Amino acid sequence: MFRSRSWFGGGWGRPKNPHSLERLKYLHNILCKNTTVSESNRGILVESLRCIAEILIWGDQNDSSVFDFFLEKNMLSYFLRIMRQKCGGSSYVCVQLLQTLNILFENIRNETSLYYLLSNNHVNSIIVHKFDISDEEVMAYYISFLKTLSLKLNNHTIHFFYNEHTKDFPLYTEAIKFFNHPETMVRIAVRTLTLNVYRVQDASMLRFIRDRTAAPYFSNLVWFIGKHILELNACVRNDADHQSQQKLDDLVAEHLDHLHYINDILCLNIPDLNDVLTEHLLHKLLIPLYIYSLTSESSKRPATSSPYNRDHIQSIEVITRNLEAILTGKSTDTPSRINYPLQRIESDDETKPSVSCVVSLFLLSQVFLIITHGPIVHALAWIILQSDLSVFEDGATKILDMYVSNAKSNVKLEFSKPQLSLEKALENTSCPDRDYTTPEYSGAKAFGYDTDQSSCDLDPELVSTSLPSTSHISESSSVAHDSTEDLVTQIQPVKSDSSVTLSKANMPDSPLPDSGVESGSSKVSELNNITDEEKQKLLGNKPGVNAERVATTIEHILENETRNIETRPFLKTILDSLDCSENDYKALFALCLLFALINNKGVNPELLDTLLLSEIEDESKSNASLSNKANVNSDETPDSSHERSSSNGKRKIESFNALLISKLMAIAVLSCKPASKVRLVTCELSVRLLRTCMQGASARHRASVDNLRARSAALARNFYKCDDIFLDMFEDEYCEMSKRPLNVEWLCMDAAILLPPTRTPMSGIAFEKRLPSGEMERARRAIRTFFLIRELSLKLSGKPETLLPLANPAPFVQVADILDLNDSDLISCDIIQKDGTWQHRFLAVDNIQVILVEPDKQRLGWGVAKLVGSLQDLEIQGDKDDPRCLHLTIHKPRVGASASLPRTVLLRAKFKFDDHIRSMAAKQRLTKGRTKSRQKKMQQIGRLLEVSGVSAPAPAARHRPLFARPALAAVRRHSGIDGDEPERRLRRPSGHVLKDGIVVYRERTTSRESISRSSSAHASREGSPRARSEDIPLEDIRRNPGIAAAVPSTSSSSRVPQVRVTPSTSQHPKLKSTSSEETSFISSEPRVKRKGIVETI
Amino acid sequence: MAYAYLFKYIIIGDTGVGKSCLLLQFTDKRFQPVHDLTIGVEFGARMITIDGKQIKLQIWDTAGQEAFRSITRSYYRGAAGALLVYDITRRETFNHLTTWLEDARQHSNSNMVIMLIGNKSDLESRREVKKEEGEAFAREHGLVFMETSAKTAANVEEAFINTAKEIYEKIQEGVFDINNEANGIKIGPQHSTAGAGGAGGAGAGGAPPGGCC
Repeated sequence: MFRSRSWFGGGWGRPKNPHSLERLKYLHNILCKNTTVSESNRGILVESLRCIAEILIWGDQNDSSVFDFFLEKNMLSYFLRIMRQKCGGSSYVCVQLLQTLNILFENIRNETSLYYLLSNNHVNSIIVHKFDISDEEVMAYYISFLKTLSLKLNNHTIHFFYNEHTKDFPLYTEAIKFFNHPETMVRIAVRTLTLNVYRVQDASMLRFIRDRTAAPYFSNLVWFIGKHILELNACVRNDADHQSQQKLDDLVAEHLDHLHYINDILCLNIPDLNDVLTEHLLHKLLIPLYIYSLTSESSKRPATSSPYNRDHIQSIEVITRNLEAILTGKSTDTPSRINYPLQRIESDDETKPSVSCVVSLFLLSQVFLIITHGPIVHALAWIILQSDLSVFEDGATKILDMYVSNAKSNVKLEFSKPQLSLEKALENTSCPDRDYTTPEYSGAKAFGYDTDQSSCDLDPELVSTSLPSTSHISESSSVAHDSTEDLVTQIQPVKSDSSVTLSKANMPDSPLPDSGVESGSSKVSELNNITDEEKQKLLGNKPGVNAERVATTIEHILENETRNIETRPFLKTILDSLDCSENDYKALFALCLLFALINNKGVNPELLDTLLLSEIEDESKSNASLSNKANVNSDETPDSSHERSSSNGKRKIESFNALLISKLMAIAVLSCKPASKVRLVTCELSVRLLRTCMQGASARHRASVDNLRARSAALARNFYKCDDIFLDMFEDEYCEMSKRPLNVEWLCMDAAILLPPTRTPMSGIAFEKRLPSGEMERARRAIRTFFLIRELSLKLSGKPETLLPLANPAPFVQVADILDLNDSDLISCDIIQKDGTWQHRFLAVDNIQVILVEPDKQRLGWGVAKLVGSLQDLEIQGDKDDPRCLHLTIHKPRVGASASLPRTVLLRAKFKFDDHIRSMAAKQRLTKGRTKSRQKKMQQIGRLLEVSGVSAPAPAARHRPLFARPALAAVRRHSGIDGDEPERRLRRPSGHVLKDGIVVYRERTTSRESISRSSSAHASREGSPRARSEDIPLEDIRRNPGIAAAVPSTSSSSRVPQVRVTPSTSQHPKLKSTSSEETSFISSEPRVKRKGIVETI
Repeated sequence: MAYAYLFKYIIIGDTGVGKSCLLLQFTDKRFQPVHDLTIGVEFGARMITIDGKQIKLQIWDTAGQEAFRSITRSYYRGAAGALLVYDITRRETFNHLTTWLEDARQHSNSNMVIMLIGNKSDLESRREVKKEEGEAFAREHGLVFMETSAKTAANVEEAFINTAKEIYEKIQEGVFDINNEANGIKIGPQHSTAGAGGAGGAGAGGAPPGGCC
């Protein structure tokens, strides 16, 4: 291959300055001389083309005459001429040409220059040039070129690319031919380009896009998404062993990409485009594939209690058909369709493409999580929640009639291959003699815009003579293809003999509401407000409801709902999927779907009443409006709902709230069982849904959730031990949970959940998303379940969380605090760090903290805290070689959600004491302090889990004052650290002194009693542990009665029944007296008590 | 033109940090940096050699597409390597790194190699971000770091090639599933997994834009 330099080497009279007009003239000369590309001049041409780019950009930035010359000589035409030559190795030249063009359009800043470049049609000629796209490199440069151009589109430049008169828009039409290119980057570039095109607000161009390209492009897009789904389904079906997880990851990610792309288009808010896209998406993909897959399984199952028992299977067929009738609306008016001259095959379930229920639920969740375009999600939600056998059998025609008047759709409800390849369809649209005036288009024009007749209703002979770039389009299952037709023909008889009962007023929540997004959303928010207010009111009205009556009504309602659900096949499938008795594989997806559906902004909130509206509330509402009906809900049938709606002017939505809650409760109850097969994520999601569904938070709900909380506490109690690990685990789990609350959108990005639940951590699946493996993980799961359900219980009762995270008795001493250490017990030591740095400090220990102090230079006997760590998080090790030394590791305490899992070490160092006695003293003090501070926490946990016997101090008792504080004047020296410091200090009753190895409490505000205690403690020699241990309970006792009476905390109130059950008569006083000795006996206590509490449950 | 592997890169970072200039500087050495010319490109490819193997790098600039979530998402996922670029003369471009990184980590496959690049190192007098800060950020987030200058071509080669080396090592370790093209790695046309060594060879300089390697 020629090196370009060699061509310039020998005196061609090349101007020295590479950036000058002269140089461009010289290059122009080269182009003129080498009009035919040959083996011999290829090198020089490539280098010239490259240099042209460089000079032009230089000129654009520095010298306008350069550009003038380029335009004057019409040098782009040379480019075209070179490009069009079929010469061996032309890809080499083409790549250079495309690179030059890329550079040109990417770097030109001068707008006029850009207009000039675009003004003659050369660029469009380059766009339509048939490059050798089988060459990877050419393809990449070509698509980059198109993308670069699309980034230059705006209201002015659009006219250079889109010709209004010839209805020609090569940039767009050429690009979308590659929408399904095997190369990811190419596909992304095409998507980018389309979005860049759509967002140019040019009415004429958008009309072209809509009329000529939208239907074929979107139908193909949708078809390939569907094919992709079938592939995904096959992958899930064939991989029970988690072997091809990466492939599955990609397939899921790809589906998400598609949805995000569709959402990006919808979010551009181009009404016409959105309508076409919505139709195709709904009628060609979401309903016939996703929703249909929800029915297929239930249709195979024999329905026992259904009123449509006789031909249940056929009923499903009827539904699907009627659905189509409704959604296609217009189909009666186009008889030509029914006479479709294609071969027909009898329709049956097996031949229709469908995916497994699990996959379908998963995909629908993704749809509801990502897409918020009202018409799509609302229609989908309507079908899932409302479609009802009786409505279809009785009212199909009526609904049809209603829709005919404003029907927009001619898209058949079927997941089928577009009958025309995209390329073919585009060819047809760009054919000049075919335009609006032809009959084919005029029909559709009456409905506001064109539909995909061009792709779907064309003569079958036209079907796909595929071109290389779209060769995948034609290969499709003949199954799907054939079933396109038969459905249409079978609909006819169904429609003709159906009777009419429904009135128009019954359809406020119709599948296709007004498609104007703005008006839709404003309506939504309005409705939101109303329902909230109403609910508030209803809440206020409710207390009078008799508990027993509620109970009977609930049974009625549940019974009723269970009966009625038979008429909602899709919703029934979802609710049936919530059954976790075998495992929670399906349930997780059903939960995701319900969650996504409920939280989707595009779904009309009124529709959500199907799930969220409590029947009891509803009763009071209907009682208010229809006082003559005594027991509306219990004897409600589908018919009565019609009746009522007509009198109300507003359709009453049949609610399945109670049924849903009972299903969710069942999951929660199951997850409280030791060997349950419910994963944490399932539990968390169902708990969250419970919170949403129990909006009314009636007493009944509160009671059942409280019962649930007791169960979860019992489960966690099984693991309550006094070893170190339980406490750490407990706090870790709490951090973990509050740090990473469940994000359903992220959950639904994880392909791993599509495979059957597994147990082993070696699968690489996060703990929450698999079953626990081993005792440790079972304990973690139990603890986490407890947290989740406790939170739900608190939220429902409107109480704030006061006990979690386990309060570290507030760290009173902080770094840089100045402490009065007169008469305190201090141990002098040298701290030697790993890197050899050496410090002299005094070690002080209070009952929760270890403090390293440095003498205060200004006041004798006072010290500055240099490092403060909690005793709980301390590791102590002796030194084998030197008895004077200790190795200490102080971890940073976990503080609520902010703590990270790999714990930060505050200090890891060797402590060298004066002699081995001091060393031992320090070790003993630290070890005891550590044990005790941990025991304190274990007590707190015990209280939370209602381990009997661990009851004593109420939470407030923990906030005990510690060290003596210097006068504020002394403190002020460092108070700049934090603004609220002084205030905090003032609140704190101080007056504690470290003395002779004893931590003594001496509150300024306390009675003489405690002072005398402190002096007695002072007398004991090495007695710090005992002195402290006696001190703590004293305070507890002092505070406890008042607090117990004043603050009925959750734990104390729920403790009461247990006390009653336990045979011991003097439970209360006994508890208190044990608590005063608890520090020495705590290790044996909980186990004993655990036994007791298990019996009471 | 034959190659053993093809790695797809993306370049991310705030606008104006010199992404497309870096790209052009690396992919096409024929464009020599000149004082009075700022020139860049959004796509480029170039052949390099690692461990005696021809490796083609394809680099896609994602500029101008940030408005569409679907696009950024897919770009990240389709790449084996990412160059995260900031401008050492503009503090705010450094401050935005966290956001970029979060995005990248969320959407990319976990094996994607990310290299942090402080560009415009030639403008020492206007420096706002110290080299040490860049280093610290990279250390904290486990990235490779380098300061480059698209103007003087300093370190540009190294930035791209070191990233490629890291990807290559990951392939050798078996971390990347090379048969899965969604990772941004492709096996060369003549390169079967069995005969790993033999492909490539004469490919250098074949692709015109990469003509100088």
